[in-house]
Amino acid sequence: MALRAAQLPIPARSLLTTHHFVANDRLSWSRAVSPHPILLLPSPSLSPSTGPILHANPSVRCTAQVQTNLGPGTPVRPTSILVVGATGTLGRQVVRRALDEGYDVRCLVRPRPAPADFLRDWGATVVNADLTKPETIPATLVGIHTVIDCATGRPEEPIKTVDWEGKVALIQCAKAMGIQKYVFYSIHNCDKHPEVPLMEIKYCTEKFLRDSGLQHIIIRLCGFMQGLIGQYAVPILEEKSVWGTDAPTRIAYMDTQDIARLTFIALRNEKVNGKLLIFAGPRAWTTQEVITLCERLAGQDANVTTVPVSILRLTRQLTRFFEWTNDVADRLSFSEVLTSDTVFSVPMAETYNLLGVDQKDIITLEKYLQDYFSNILKKLKDLKAQSKQTDIYF
Amino acid sequence: MSAISSATSASSSFSSNGVYHHHSKCRLSSDLLGSVSFPNVNWDNRFRRCYTSSERKSRFLLVPRAAAPDTSEESKSENAQNGDEGSDEIQVTQKQPPPPSVSIGLDDVNPVGLGRRSRQLFDEVWRKFSGLGQISRTIRADDKEALDALLIREGPMCEFAIPGAQNTVVLVVGATSRIGRIVVRKLMLRGYTVKALVRKDDPEVVDMLPRSVEIVTGDVGDPDTLKAAVEGCNKIIYCATARSPITADLFRVDYRGVYNLTKAFQDYNNKLAQLRAGKSSKSKLLIAKFKSPESLNGWEVRQGTYFQDEIATKYDGGMDSRFEFTETGEAVFSGYVFTRGGYVELSKKLSLPLGSTLDRYEGLVLSVGGNGRSYVIILEAGPSADPSQSKLYFARISTKVGFCRVRVPFSSFRPVKPDDPPLDPFLVHTLTIRFEPRRQRPVDVPTTKSQDLRSFKLILEYIKALPTGQETDFVLVSCSGKGIESSRREQVLKAKKAGEDSLRRSGLGYTIVRPGPLKEEPGGQRALIFDQGNRVSQEISCADVADICVKALHDSTARNKSFDVCYEYVAEEGRELYELVAHLPDKANNYLTPALSVLEKNT
Repeated sequence: MALRAAQLPIPARSLLTTHHFVANDRLSWSRAVSPHPILLLPSPSLSPSTGPILHANPSVRCTAQVQTNLGPGTPVRPTSILVVGATGTLGRQVVRRALDEGYDVRCLVRPRPAPADFLRDWGATVVNADLTKPETIPATLVGIHTVIDCATGRPEEPIKTVDWEGKVALIQCAKAMGIQKYVFYSIHNCDKHPEVPLMEIKYCTEKFLRDSGLQHIIIRLCGFMQGLIGQYAVPILEEKSVWGTDAPTRIAYMDTQDIARLTFIALRNEKVNGKLLIFAGPRAWTTQEVITLCERLAGQDANVTTVPVSILRLTRQLTRFFEWTNDVADRLSFSEVLTSDTVFSVPMAETYNLLGVDQKDIITLEKYLQDYFSNILKKLKDLKAQSKQTDIYF
Repeated sequence: MSAISSATSASSSFSSNGVYHHHSKCRLSSDLLGSVSFPNVNWDNRFRRCYTSSERKSRFLLVPRAAAPDTSEESKSENAQNGDEGSDEIQVTQKQPPPPSVSIGLDDVNPVGLGRRSRQLFDEVWRKFSGLGQISRTIRADDKEALDALLIREGPMCEFAIPGAQNTVVLVVGATSRIGRIVVRKLMLRGYTVKALVRKDDPEVVDMLPRSVEIVTGDVGDPDTLKAAVEGCNKIIYCATARSPITADLFRVDYRGVYNLTKAFQDYNNKLAQLRAGKSSKSKLLIAKFKSPESLNGWEVRQGTYFQDEIATKYDGGMDSRFEFTETGEAVFSGYVFTRGGYVELSKKLSLPLGSTLDRYEGLVLSVGGNGRSYVIILEAGPSADPSQSKLYFARISTKVGFCRVRVPFSSFRPVKPDDPPLDPFLVHTLTIRFEPRRQRPVDVPTTKSQDLRSFKLILEYIKALPTGQETDFVLVSCSGKGIESSRREQVLKAKKAGEDSLRRSGLGYTIVRPGPLKEEPGGQRALIFDQGNRVSQEISCADVADICVKALHDSTARNKSFDVCYEYVAEEGRELYELVAHLPDKANNYLTPALSVLEKNT
């Protein structure tokens, strides 16, 4: 990778030159960009096998310039937003919240056989594009005021293509096309764990965004409550075994609905421009505590399989030796974080103050899980009463 | 190596759970166990258990806490478990028909299939294992559908979900308007079924709407097209408005449109009611209809004075009145009252159709004509057996020159004796219309003759009772008049007012929202002022108006109310006169109910 970067040190020039095409003829965008794929960009020195990484200096700079006058035309309405990664756990909540608040929402989703119908059903516009194919991006940004970026690569794909190369292309496009605000979701503590590829990428993207000169908000997140349902609540209800670690890591889980709500409050607040916000839930929980809470609420004991963190680490070390297991190693890399007793939480009082939010409105994990269990237990009861004979899946 | 060993031990423990998952998985786990060569005894045991568990149709009936069967200890516990399983089995077989016989097919021993299945199993375990190393993970595709249903889409965990939404079909008229578009989205998010009335189903119009919205082509100005539109609807949100200031257009959309739609909706309700051989709960109750000379029977004309003034009575002109059916087919109550403190009245003991009582109704609507005097409606209420206990309640109505319909809600009746309890419509037995020369206001008609306010003429067409209900049926977005050029304001307001009035008289539960000048910006940002009485000074965002419309659908305080709404006035920095303690519309608070509960009903 580094070699390729040295051969082709023309990062965003391609975009800069194509920009003139935009001014003249918007439709020529995709054609203009495709001969100079932005994939030529050098990447931060990301490779899990090469020890310490200098993440302080991302080698890419966004050099695209914005012409002040984009020619005749109506100004873009501040209510038009683009959500990247709209089908994800957080993305869909962002879309819902935006639609409910009266924004015109466009969703950038990857072309796929089963399209994201639910987004259209809610009233969002869906455009097909792929961050890994930069030539598809510019057309989606036409007429957009704000970009909200909640995309992240799927677990099964290499971490770098979407999260780094795709994001760099997106930010450069956004800059070149005069997007007026860019919201980027990052991970809390990403500056402290350069050994974890995803966190390093997020940190580099933060830096890249800051250097790009775009008006932006960076929001660092800790953990989603929604993730806990599939991980602990459902297995406990199904009496399947729950897998947990004995890691002392504490995470302040937060409801994605709250994250989406706060995001839009931040988005409209001029004081937040260019700031780094950290959203954390009301309290930080260890895995064990979450499992205990689920057990209490479900009224049954969990069949817990505890995997010591040391095994996870060891597996990671092993998988790092082979190139074909590098992706696996990347995925397991959080075990490095887990072994340290990092706390994924911050005091939120200042953030609440800045945004003018009442702490009482932020849902706690107890309340969230309680709602979940009471709802699902009621549903199961109804189902059972309805049909004793049929299979029940949920 | 340790990773692999841990994975296999994990896989076996997983398989013991997978057994109860599904029939195919049962076999799968046994395959795996076979392939890693566990004791045969165990294998058999397991196999038998598979079938028993597959007989058990529900996964929730019973699930054993199985452990990995790779030690002898484990197999013991397994046996023990089989023991209590057996007892459960008996219970189960008591409940359920005998299981179908199971045979081992070629598929079960096919090595390729075995390999694939064991790989799947390994993947599953590996996924779980590697998932442990994540901080916040994405939800997998197979979890997704189940979770979506409960958490993210229409399920109860979604912050937007409204309990009544699933069974409610809402017709949105003007779905492509600035407010309408957001209304449609909000309804979809909350799980309503939405129909949208559009004039033309052009692709660009259809593209503006979510795909699962049912699109009906029609025009509010054309009553025939509305029949299909209201079919199957429970509620209507009307946010269409005339696109041009031309009077005919205003009249067609803002007045006739509302009228046509309320009529179509009422017709549809009646049709449904007739199908179940009943009366629509939304239809009005006819109390009196004056269309033949016989219909005047039972109405008596009386005269009286509030106070006795012997001397004055001698010299004034007295009073006179009559109630007659004219040759032109009108029932006319007319006369004059010159006596000071005198009045004349028209009264009838009500005879309601069997089974209907007025407590299921909310007020009266009178269709009357005449020369625009005001009258007092008096209701006598009390046990019908004992007239001496009757109490009197009155409400003042004013009429217009020419025909008009007047709506008098029961809540506007006040007791004649202030100590009496408020009116209970259930007990009403007599209705009286009284004319008195006091407090008459001259009618603004360009007449050369000076009007004598002591004479009157009232043409009666019908008297009906308006049904009551919990929720609003029809939300109308009207306008407060602010922000329209003054040259056309009169015109626009006149049409809107006519539309509002026709809605009020329709018998449908209504909510009329009169927003200030609309702004296209996100909603929920600023405090809103709800007010009655044309004091709107600020603008409001379309999204907030849409939110009010949607919230009003299930809010009993919104029924039969008209109100103005706009942003709270915010003084410039440093010039604030007061601090307003208000709530922003937001997830945790339902701002609409408290805001509307203080406003007056039937306005």
